[in-house]
Amino acid sequence: MSRASAGEIARIGVLVRIPPALRSYTAGEDEVVLDASDLAGMLKALDSSFPGIRDRVVDESGRRRPYVNLFLNEDLVMTPLPTVALKPGDVVHILPSVAGG
Amino acid sequence: MVGTIKKDSVVVAVGTKKGGFLFHSADRRKWSVAGPFLAGAGVYHMGLDPRDGRTVYAAAPHGAEPWGPAVYRGRIGSEPKPTSSSPKFKEGSDLAVSRVWHIEPGSSNEPDTIYAGVEPAALFRSEDRGDTWEDIGALNYHPTRKEWQPGGGGLCLHSILVDPRKPKHLVIGISAVGAFESRDAGRSWTMENRGVRAGFLPNPYPEWGQCVHKLAWDASGDGSLFQQNHTGTYHRGPDGGAWTEITKGLPSDFGFPIAAHPDRKGTAFVTPLIGAMNRVFHKGQMAVWKTGNAGKTWRKATKGLPGPNAYLGVLREGMSTDAEDPLGLYVGTNTGQLFASRDEGESWRMIADFLPPIMSVTSGMAR
Repeated sequence: MSRASAGEIARIGVLVRIPPALRSYTAGEDEVVLDASDLAGMLKALDSSFPGIRDRVVDESGRRRPYVNLFLNEDLVMTPLPTVALKPGDVVHILPSVAGG
Repeated sequence: MVGTIKKDSVVVAVGTKKGGFLFHSADRRKWSVAGPFLAGAGVYHMGLDPRDGRTVYAAAPHGAEPWGPAVYRGRIGSEPKPTSSSPKFKEGSDLAVSRVWHIEPGSSNEPDTIYAGVEPAALFRSEDRGDTWEDIGALNYHPTRKEWQPGGGGLCLHSILVDPRKPKHLVIGISAVGAFESRDAGRSWTMENRGVRAGFLPNPYPEWGQCVHKLAWDASGDGSLFQQNHTGTYHRGPDGGAWTEITKGLPSDFGFPIAAHPDRKGTAFVTPLIGAMNRVFHKGQMAVWKTGNAGKTWRKATKGLPGPNAYLGVLREGMSTDAEDPLGLYVGTNTGQLFASRDEGESWRMIADFLPPIMSVTSGMAR
């Protein structure tokens, strides 16, 4: 799989950046391009391509796991995932919080 | 050979706050270590499946803490991998599994069955070695659930006993809810807490709400049980009924693990600590106490154990027996030492130091 260009992302959909801890699900790929209109739908689409990966980001009640952050472009997502709309060209980052002390 | 671990070796699987280790020995005198496995992860429980002597199961977060709980499976000596799915509550329950505390292999005639005990307290069964899971609804959505309260370690289901003679006969323990028993493979459950104190509640002998710390079958084979509780040590006779407190003769009523002799009726081992507010051994002397008569009397062993001035403790899953003759025992401390006895707990030898805090110790035989 080749890396998507900015033009391709804008045309095809949303680019999701995969953290190292979850690349076992994506056969090592660090980014995936998906068609989704909101963050909850993005996770479902991601899971249909890479089964099990959604469970690592949200629990079975759909709540984001503590210390797992989603950034839409450069903004930390603080609202419920289904309310966060996506458009072609967006970039979603899945990142663990630093959780340091 | 099985990986780097020889067949017919005794294997002691040690789960720590920073990974798992497999200690192995052909003679229980000279020990070697493999690992760390799942390095950096908090391994709440790890063990060798006694049904094949080759499969290792572990309970740990996926990769690292933020990514949620996982069950791992692997061939002995190799890095275990997450199973295809983790235990999950049914949709709409508004519950979510935050941690897997315990993995228990099923009976010998159900070689692919394993059980998982999780936080918040629930029991799950897999019939394909952990790839898919059944939510045991009669327990997990018990009518009393909305009133369940966590113990100090959380609302965790930590003890799972599968009757080796009758695989449908299950006993589980939840902190701080108590013991439950099923004789129909989990379709229905009875609370089994009569005679067990809950000194922290207004009614010290409630139907449920006891803080069970660990359960173990008595080797009698008739359904008798041992229990270490937050408040007391107990024995229950065959076929249910009330528990009998057997704390008398021990230095305190507080401790975490309890391990029973796999073949000798009425024989068990405990590691009493000062109490809930000071979870270290009495007088700075680590000690393992043994009964051979279902708790009527206890005998203390300290030979080879640290002290005086050893202010450490043992966590819930921190003690295990092997199945050798004479019996071997293994105790891991929350300060990272692993002790072994090859004479039924009479004398001890430290076989590892400077491990991360030890959360679980189980033993088995490599085949």
